[in-house]
Amino acid sequence: MKKTSVLVLTFLILAAIVSCSIQKDSVYKKSMPLMDTIVSITVVSDSKEIAEKAMEEAFGKIDSFGYLINFYSEKSELSEINRNAGIRKTRVSPETLDVIEKAVLASEKSLGAFDPSIGPIVKLWDFADKKMPSEKEVTHALPLVNYRDIIIDRNASTVLLSKKGMMLDLGAIAKGYAADMAVDSLIKKGIQSGLVSIAGDIRTFGLKPDKKPWTIGIKNPRQTGTKDEIIAMARLTDKAISTSGDYERYFITAGRRYHHILDPKTGFPAETCRSVSIVTDKAVDSDAFSTAIFVLGPDKGMKLAKDLGMGALIIDSNGNMHTTDSLKEKLSFEKGS
Amino acid sequence: MQLQDKYRVAILSAYALALHGFEAMLPSPIPWLRVGLANIITLTALLLFGFRTAMMITLIRVILGSLFTGTFLGPSFILSLGGGVCGTCSMGVMLMMSRKLFGPVGLSIIGALFHNAAQLFLAYWLFIQRIEAVLFVSPVIILIGTLTGFMNGIVADILIKNLLKKESDSLHNVAQA
Amino acid sequence: MKKALRSTTIADRTLCIVLIIVSCAAMFYSREALSQGTDVVIEVSGKAVYTTSLDTNREIPVEGTQGRAIVEIRDGKVRMKEARCDNHICLKQGWITQGTIVCLPNSIVIITGSGSKKDVDAITG
Repeated sequence: MKKTSVLVLTFLILAAIVSCSIQKDSVYKKSMPLMDTIVSITVVSDSKEIAEKAMEEAFGKIDSFGYLINFYSEKSELSEINRNAGIRKTRVSPETLDVIEKAVLASEKSLGAFDPSIGPIVKLWDFADKKMPSEKEVTHALPLVNYRDIIIDRNASTVLLSKKGMMLDLGAIAKGYAADMAVDSLIKKGIQSGLVSIAGDIRTFGLKPDKKPWTIGIKNPRQTGTKDEIIAMARLTDKAISTSGDYERYFITAGRRYHHILDPKTGFPAETCRSVSIVTDKAVDSDAFSTAIFVLGPDKGMKLAKDLGMGALIIDSNGNMHTTDSLKEKLSFEKGS
Repeated sequence: MQLQDKYRVAILSAYALALHGFEAMLPSPIPWLRVGLANIITLTALLLFGFRTAMMITLIRVILGSLFTGTFLGPSFILSLGGGVCGTCSMGVMLMMSRKLFGPVGLSIIGALFHNAAQLFLAYWLFIQRIEAVLFVSPVIILIGTLTGFMNGIVADILIKNLLKKESDSLHNVAQA
Repeated sequence: MKKALRSTTIADRTLCIVLIIVSCAAMFYSREALSQGTDVVIEVSGKAVYTTSLDTNREIPVEGTQGRAIVEIRDGKVRMKEARCDNHICLKQGWITQGTIVCLPNSIVIITGSGSKKDVDAITG
């Protein structure tokens, strides 16, 4: 009896030592203000050093990209393209070229509901100062909004806006693109699971340490307090989600809400939805198409989502929810919604 | 070890396992912080049959318990093992130092204290790493440990008295027969 | 049960009482660390003007009723860095991780809270 109990004890101690040396995965999260918004990166790693290095690298990539495409900075490549509109081609970095190409592609797929050349219209609105343009100003600027007038030369890495006065605004696609960039960078640095969130454009990959997917809360477009902030939760892995809403940047004048998601065909805010959340593989697509589908409205927008195989949650102007079947199983709704 | 002792260990371990399992089914805000009903068995065994028996029961309960719940060699097993061993050892050592100083109640409290302390330490060292979280939660754990230790001690005391009474009754009956 | 209580030794009872007192005392002291803030809300004249998180290092300019103030968040703590007020009591409060800093003349209140985001890893919208 004594010998066996010694053996048993030894075995136990060995087993304990073995299981102690098995690495444990932890979740690391860091946020930084970049691209004029808050960027949050969450990673799962068994090493704090690897996690921090990967996050730092990813933040760096987002920061550099932010400089390239900043609409409000004269030094950005984007501004250079805009200054050269109707004059000459602009040589740009591969990332800038790539995101503009993807923007044009999204315009084609959405038949212009998303259009990065909406810059001239965007300049007419100021949501902070509650400034809105007159019908005349809009009519004057609308002809300059046409994605077909964006000329891209892949080989020379140049972009040309054919008409003078044309302006590109990548605000509705850049954050998604940057999130994808960040995720690629994290993966290259050895991270297998994580989440990048740039102002609500989110890309997830891998699973959390408890082997569950990431839980993303979808904001309630008409939240009244902290209790009803979240209207639905999505469980995602290896998917991106973006939301376009009429409550992010807006002002109310004479009882009407004017928000920042402008219809490229009218120059005024699209009126049929309160918020649109899109789930698909890449954040660049979820970002662009959440805008496009918001503009298209619950019927046409839902159809586009289905045709493209994307998951969609559309909350229309009456507060009714429309969901694609593929997304239904990933969603859970909060009480009272 | 005598056959009778092995028998005893087996039965007591079974009781300990059953109590542990029953307790595991009760809902609780802090998952791995339990009332430690199984410690009643351990303490009783310690006082009636000695340290060896008590330790064996502890080990069997922890190992079999984790095998049954599928958490063998997992984090909760480590915590359970560490806590159980430390708790039992502390009670055994205290008993060795002075049989008269502490009654079952005091021993139970000491056992619970060391059990929880060991678990906290292991949790910090192996899993949580945020010393603020551990330090913050330790007063609560000490308090709960003291209270549950007290209660378990009372129960163990009653149990021991009853068992001793039964034995002396049956001896009495045998003597009379 | 009463019998068992009576059979407890002096050491038993002392140990029990001492531990209860010690742990209660410890809890009172750690009350400070209780509501570990994760969110910061900055209010001017009772209206929330900024909501942000303690995990983002940044300086936030805030317009108080007497002029500009600067709120700074660094390493999970927040403080009033600059403010246009007489006594600068708000500045003297230093860094906090929980609780509030008030600048009465400016009607600026910095509140930390635990914004319990109900297990959500991120929010879109």
